[in-house]
Amino acid sequence: MGTPVTYNEDELVGLLKKQSREGFNYLYQQYSAVLYGVINKVVYDEHIAQDVLQEVFVKIWNNIDSYNPQKGRIYTWMLNIARNAAIDKLRSKGEIMKGKIHTGEDVVNNVSKGMKTEQMTDSIGLRKVVSGLRPEYESLIDMAYYKGYTMDEISKEMEIPLGTVKTRMRAAIQQLRGVFGK
Amino acid sequence: MDINEYIDSGVLEAFLLGALTREEEELVLLKLENHPELRVELQAMEDAMLSYAQTQSKVPPPALQDKIWATINTPSQNVHENADDVEVNEFETTRKSVVMPFKPEYRRPLISWKYAAMILALVGSVAVNIYLVNEGRKAAEDKLALSQKLDKLEANQKQLAGLLATYQKSTEMKADTGMQTIVMHTVLVGHPMAATIYWSKGSGEAYVAMEALPAPPKGMQYQLWAIQGGKPVDMGVLKNDMANTPQMQKVDKLVTSSEAFAISLEKEGGSPTPTAQNIYVLGKA
Repeated sequence: MGTPVTYNEDELVGLLKKQSREGFNYLYQQYSAVLYGVINKVVYDEHIAQDVLQEVFVKIWNNIDSYNPQKGRIYTWMLNIARNAAIDKLRSKGEIMKGKIHTGEDVVNNVSKGMKTEQMTDSIGLRKVVSGLRPEYESLIDMAYYKGYTMDEISKEMEIPLGTVKTRMRAAIQQLRGVFGK
Repeated sequence: MDINEYIDSGVLEAFLLGALTREEEELVLLKLENHPELRVELQAMEDAMLSYAQTQSKVPPPALQDKIWATINTPSQNVHENADDVEVNEFETTRKSVVMPFKPEYRRPLISWKYAAMILALVGSVAVNIYLVNEGRKAAEDKLALSQKLDKLEANQKQLAGLLATYQKSTEMKADTGMQTIVMHTVLVGHPMAATIYWSKGSGEAYVAMEALPAPPKGMQYQLWAIQGGKPVDMGVLKNDMANTPQMQKVDKLVTSSEAFAISLEKEGGSPTPTAQNIYVLGKA
């Protein structure tokens, strides 16, 4: 549950371009947990997740010159690097198992979720906020963002028309904005 | 399409979530260039998405920071990687043109056909070998992935079996007439929390389950109290990994008498007396 990012984006980019130890430490302290969180949502094995995190920092470090502010915020760029690296790793490791195991896993996850009497109690209340996201929205974000499904694939998987996928994506992000918006 | 319609269509959200094809992404990027109001809209979405990702943050092992720095700081790693790996939209970036030095060509006499065929056979054989080695490596990786998936399933299954055993035990305890069940309810308004005590007055044995208590923050631990003669008496600290699970743990001390039970959040290792504002749940015996 990191602290809100208050660092000026241009300053951060400048810091990264300097390629100093201080810059790295700052980057690591501010973003390692959120990047690691993203990676862990995609790959389950902790050792693999750590490898991916390392890859991600190396990529951020070596490619900061190719970051283009016109296309989005610096942390979106970093989150995307983490997500893409994790998805790539997952695909390179277990493409063949994808279809079969996924369904099994989801069943197991659902069962254990249902058995927890109260998932929504967290002293800070953040879990509650996240669970407050409507389940179909949460799984939509999971599929698109963390599993790398295209809209076509989501439409087939969820058995809803393509147009509805887009509308729901809008509604999901709108709800997140409502929750986190300033 | 009018710009508000464009925003309402959800295409920016799909763009942010990475669900568009490359062609569609290019179209969005063009739109973004020409409409600053779209950028504002997208940035608000990006902020929300970051906040969402932050709720799922996980702190990596502390040793990793130095290890990653060591990797970054090794000169051989400081080679620009293919930008295609880095970001879906960033495919025009690090491709630099390479200037080849021009050398006048030195013309050899034509190689005999026999010689050429030999080289061809050699090259072919090397290629086949490389292919086979790669296939072998791929098979090994697939196998690794498979066994990891199986491990994960097995772990899940064990966890489920553990849960089942817990439920069975809890059912047996509830059926035991000598065993009193005391549900402790939240004392903090707006935070629905609960925990349960199973207490055998006869033997003094007690079990506690923190089924609806949040995992304690770092350096903190839950502590159980029995209220005896109006005073809280320490019944020991509770294991952190039992929080927010229906699993029961045996209370360290014998509970000979008690008017009520309470759980408070204390520093690791527990306190001699409960911190008043940190009493989370309370239930009368």
